[in-house]
Amino acid sequence: MFDKKVVRRRRAALAIFITLSIVMLTAYFGESSGGAFHTLQRGAQEAFAPIETGTGRALKPFRDFFGWFGDTLDAKGENEDLRKEVEQLRKQVAQSSTAEQDARQLRGLVDLERTEGFPAGTEPVAARVIARSPTVWYSTVKIDKGSGDGVREDQPVIAAGGLAGKVTSVTGGTAEVTLITDASSAVSAQIMPDGATGIVKPEVGKPEDLLLEFVQRGRVTEGTTVVTSGFTSDKVESLFPRGVPIGRVSRVDLDEVELYQRVHIKPFADMRRLDIVEVLTQKGEGRETAEVVTP
Amino acid sequence: MITTPGAFLRVGAIIMAAVILQLSGFGTMSFFGGHPDLVSLAVAAVAIYAGSVTGAATGFAAGFVLDLAVGATMGASSLVLTAVGYAVGRYREVRDPVHGLMPIPVGAAATLGFLVAFASVSFMLDVGASVSPLVFRDMLVTTLLNALLAIPVFALGRRVLRPALVVDPFESRRRRRAPTDSGPLGLRGLEV
Repeated sequence: MFDKKVVRRRRAALAIFITLSIVMLTAYFGESSGGAFHTLQRGAQEAFAPIETGTGRALKPFRDFFGWFGDTLDAKGENEDLRKEVEQLRKQVAQSSTAEQDARQLRGLVDLERTEGFPAGTEPVAARVIARSPTVWYSTVKIDKGSGDGVREDQPVIAAGGLAGKVTSVTGGTAEVTLITDASSAVSAQIMPDGATGIVKPEVGKPEDLLLEFVQRGRVTEGTTVVTSGFTSDKVESLFPRGVPIGRVSRVDLDEVELYQRVHIKPFADMRRLDIVEVLTQKGEGRETAEVVTP
Repeated sequence: MITTPGAFLRVGAIIMAAVILQLSGFGTMSFFGGHPDLVSLAVAAVAIYAGSVTGAATGFAAGFVLDLAVGATMGASSLVLTAVGYAVGRYREVRDPVHGLMPIPVGAAATLGFLVAFASVSFMLDVGASVSPLVFRDMLVTTLLNALLAIPVFALGRRVLRPALVVDPFESRRRRRAPTDSGPLGLRGLEV
């Protein structure tokens, strides 16, 4: 093993093979695609092709078996990745849905303000609903705007579609809004274009149905729009400016005994899904108009 | 190794089988991005039983055939596999490893050496593309897979080469394992 001759022979063999490799590398890089090595390669590949095909077919079951393990493990990893991605996308969808809903409500508010007959100069302050009362008896929400933003008690609050309620208490940065579906709420209203007036009161536990009471017997048709009447007299004045849409007449109860008729109204504003509202910080001036276009 | 036409044929058969199986079978078995590398294992197997000169020659021939079949840069694989075959052969000549699990570290080291050296040569030859750090992961997976495959590949290589070997390391181990520890003090260890 330590014979000098053997060592020399071994080193010489290594040197020869290394040199041959380097010569091959150099020659391969130096020659064109039609050179000896390239031609040899093409020939070898043609010769190998049928053997490789046959061996490939013969080994396919083993390859598939081996691949099955790899695929299973890969699928497990992929499954985990996809779960994470789904979770991420769900969050994004939720955020998009929230943004879309906010946008829809804001658009509704803008449309409402542009409605013909909507009081001018009300200087609305947009606010986000940050809390809701948990019971049906007290339909109130808390908004993130308060006295620091010009919000005062008794100011009307509108939501996308129509009237939502009024401010009942204010702090520096928040305000509580009592909705028109609250048991204590009462709004003087007018049916358009008939002009019949009454008081809109809620039906507790049924926020999608308001009652217009004290409407004198007369012709009230379903589908007509109800707006705030902005009632004023020498002694009292309605808190709500004239012309704010409230809802649409959905049904009329005609009771022979009663002096007045009860008109059911479906409110335009969806009280169960209030996210963005506007506080009308100025009284504004109700526009006298015979027709109110529904939002 | 006894240099006879039969020995050449045996080594040639190992090389051809390794290259063909690698190209049409093992090369397509992807496992965590890596796949077994039968050629480097086969070269290591020949080198560990036949020595450094045969190992270097086998590495050169295997690299030559591999480059021909794949259409890669001629000489690159030969250069690296020659070094791998020589190194493994020298390891056997110097250390004479006899442990039954010897193929695992030897196979892993040979594979890692081949992959690292081949990557270096490819860099030196200017690959002309950006290289992902994932190649390191693939190298590691291939090394681990080859470590698992080393025992059967080395056993098969030994079986094929045995008739052409001057000394079979495992046979000589068995022979060394017959101590004589009885008899007169001066004659202990000798078969008398």
